[in-house]
Amino acid sequence: MRKILLLIVCLSFAVAGRGASSQCSDEVFLRRAYLTVTGSLPSAQASASFLDDENPKKRERLVSRLLNSELGFKYMQMRWGDILRIKSEFPSNLWPNGVQAYNRWIYEQLMNNVPYDQMVRNLLLCEGSNFRSPAVNFYRAFQQRTPENFYQNINLLFLGNRYCTDNGFYCFSQVQFKSTKEWKEEIIYLDYHKKIPAMRIILQDGTQLFPKQDGDWREEYVAWLTSPNNRRFAEVMVNRMWYWVFGRGIVHEPDDWRADNKPSDPQLLARLTDYFIKNNFDMRKLMKRILLSKEFGSEAAPAGFYEPQRLPAEVIVDALASVTGIWNTYSSRVPEPFTFYPPRTRATHLGDATVSSTELELFGKVSRDVSLEGQRNNAITSRQLLYLMNSSVLEQRIRRSGAIKKICEQNLTVEQLADAITLRVLSRRATAREKSNYKEYMEKNGLSLRDLALDMVWMQINSNEFLYNH
Amino acid sequence: MRKIYLTLVLLLAFSLSVSAQRAKSVILVYLDGGPSQTETFDPKPNTSRDYYGNYKGVAKTNVEGIEIGEKLPLLATMADKYSLIRSMTHGSNAHETGHYAMITGDATGGAVVYPSYGAVISYMKRDSYKGILPCYISVTSANSRFNEGGFLGNEYKSFDTGGRPEKPEYEVEGIVNKFVDRDALNRRMALLEQFETLPMDKQEIDSLRAINMEFIWGASREVFNLANEPDSVRQRYGMTRLGQSCLTARRLVEAGVPFVNVRTTGWDTHKKHFQYMNNMLPGLDKALSALIADLDARGLLDSTIILCGGEFGRTPKVMWEAPWNGGRGHFGAAFSYLVAGGGFVGGKVLGKTSKTGEKVVERPVYPCDLIGTVYMLMGIDPYGTLPHVSMGELPILPSLLNPKQSNGLLYEIIDIKKADYEK
Repeated sequence: MRKILLLIVCLSFAVAGRGASSQCSDEVFLRRAYLTVTGSLPSAQASASFLDDENPKKRERLVSRLLNSELGFKYMQMRWGDILRIKSEFPSNLWPNGVQAYNRWIYEQLMNNVPYDQMVRNLLLCEGSNFRSPAVNFYRAFQQRTPENFYQNINLLFLGNRYCTDNGFYCFSQVQFKSTKEWKEEIIYLDYHKKIPAMRIILQDGTQLFPKQDGDWREEYVAWLTSPNNRRFAEVMVNRMWYWVFGRGIVHEPDDWRADNKPSDPQLLARLTDYFIKNNFDMRKLMKRILLSKEFGSEAAPAGFYEPQRLPAEVIVDALASVTGIWNTYSSRVPEPFTFYPPRTRATHLGDATVSSTELELFGKVSRDVSLEGQRNNAITSRQLLYLMNSSVLEQRIRRSGAIKKICEQNLTVEQLADAITLRVLSRRATAREKSNYKEYMEKNGLSLRDLALDMVWMQINSNEFLYNH
Repeated sequence: MRKIYLTLVLLLAFSLSVSAQRAKSVILVYLDGGPSQTETFDPKPNTSRDYYGNYKGVAKTNVEGIEIGEKLPLLATMADKYSLIRSMTHGSNAHETGHYAMITGDATGGAVVYPSYGAVISYMKRDSYKGILPCYISVTSANSRFNEGGFLGNEYKSFDTGGRPEKPEYEVEGIVNKFVDRDALNRRMALLEQFETLPMDKQEIDSLRAINMEFIWGASREVFNLANEPDSVRQRYGMTRLGQSCLTARRLVEAGVPFVNVRTTGWDTHKKHFQYMNNMLPGLDKALSALIADLDARGLLDSTIILCGGEFGRTPKVMWEAPWNGGRGHFGAAFSYLVAGGGFVGGKVLGKTSKTGEKVVERPVYPCDLIGTVYMLMGIDPYGTLPHVSMGELPILPSLLNPKQSNGLLYEIIDIKKADYEK
């Protein structure tokens, strides 16, 4: 029986054309999983212990651990923050207190692994103060707070619809705003005196909705939207998750679903969607399944399926901080109240697109102006390379790094130094060839071990291997 | 063949629009935080201490009838070189919306986030500008309160020099690195070449790195080396951050850079306003007057637009009460800008505020009117379009078409007649 199963597995690999031989190495898998799930590099220690672990299930165990870690929740929170446009200032204008409450709310939804359909219901069917009922910030994050704009955004986020022409927006026309005496507090409430529109509400698929005069009209729409029968709702999330992992959707762009924009692999999309619905919209399970897929575990293209992706701005900035052990400090002095982030706050955890730095701008931090995934621009520019090649600020950080200094003070051989640095920067050990190259380089240029270490760090953070998730 | 055809079309398009082009470069001296118009370009000596505060006097300029703040004596000697807009208005009293309005020309409220005008110029000049220096440079850093590149994207954001031009060593980010000399960088590059194992975008990255090596060691490096300037010149600008930034801007413009943003902070003077003005205005006076005079002496003023102002002005009425104790608040209803060169004429005042300065009473100038005029003088059609990734072509300045957000381009203070331009 087992043999037959094995045979089937082997056959299915062969059919897919991506044989077992194109599985990526443990080194690559470790780094890829960390960067994808947590947006951070593994510590040198974590790398070494994973690489030395001989448990055959270590990949699955790693993935589970990361998916259930705070770093994992926080990185997922950043992705949601991008598309929900969480930002203190223009154009979302949520203001710092609202931003903090909203972020906390999302964090808790993710930490508790609230099923996707429930999370969307929680988000869309809320009322109350933006501080006390943080999900209402969804309705605040618009320059023009009109039912049409809410509806367009809901269509874009949850149905991948860039252009909606039906009149479902009527369901959101009760939403009203009033301020309190608290600075920047706002109450979102429903106007129950509003008369039901005379026009019939008919959605794109022909569904007719019948909101009741004394009810919350949003409920009719949201019930339709989040129903397991509305397959598109699940598909869009599945596809978005795939996009978050691979940088390319099965339907691409992930927020542009049209009849003439076909999925590249309809069976794959159908399989994952079935799985997602069957598991009651469990987002963590969905991500786990994707992370343990042969696609994610494959070698980098062109040998395998996995297309290398340049690291997002926040991840690069954090990675440079973790390599040197010197972290940026972030603050937002305006708008009031001023926000000072605790030391060692990660750029991926800022939660507010208003808070930025020169480096984050340089590498293309998302400004959260629109809810499109494509707003993130990860193209490599000459100025980014210039910064890595020759920034005196960065060079100073490498030179002042206590962690790198400590490595140099341990009386290591060139080989040991190479391993220590490479584990720290690239999450793997140095190869034999690299070690001999370093040795030759050191002798040829008459360098001290410390100079060699500095050059090594410089070279590795300039390499493609560092800049890309590969 | 197709290439030749394309070149012809481009040339034709260029020759049609070239008639309005006066300027090759723009220097924006941006006083971040909101400078007080009352102490700078719109003094109100005939009011009371509640308005003019500690400065009752004015500086009479070399142009009959134009007076500016008493702390700007050097600028007063050259009013024939610049004009003053005293009726700037957008009505916003919040920093971020004020910045957005004054840096994009778009009245806030729309769903689309516009790029800064530096980014627009950088986009529009992407083919014609051939320099190795970036097209849009901020000395020393751009405002990061909103997305500089707007919907045009990262590529057109400003290059921030970082560093401190007033120090003996101006460490321009990515160019001047005192820790690594040429040999050391070459050595490291060789190591990288040997090590690089992943083939992603290798060709492209290699060519970008080669460009960077030229940027680091080529002629452009010397542009940032202020030690190349005679000491007397450096002193004339003032050995302050602002002074040496303005000097850097002049050198960048000489090297052909189309847009230089000199951003100086500290103008948000809610408290101790007059102490701050005492400290800051002499530095501004020195730097800005030196910049105008220097460009003029080098024959570059005709082809370089200089703008000076912030995101808004400050309340004409002084807040003597605690906790302000002599401060001025945010004021977007009526404030001033200085404009010079590149097609702007000198010796004029455009617009007028009420006796106390609380209202515009003549010729309101909206952000898009000023920025549209800059576009026109730079040979960019202010009624043209920009490509938006998902929305297609959008107007470059949508507010210009809206009578509530625009009062027309500034033909009163440029050397182009409306009849000649808008046929």
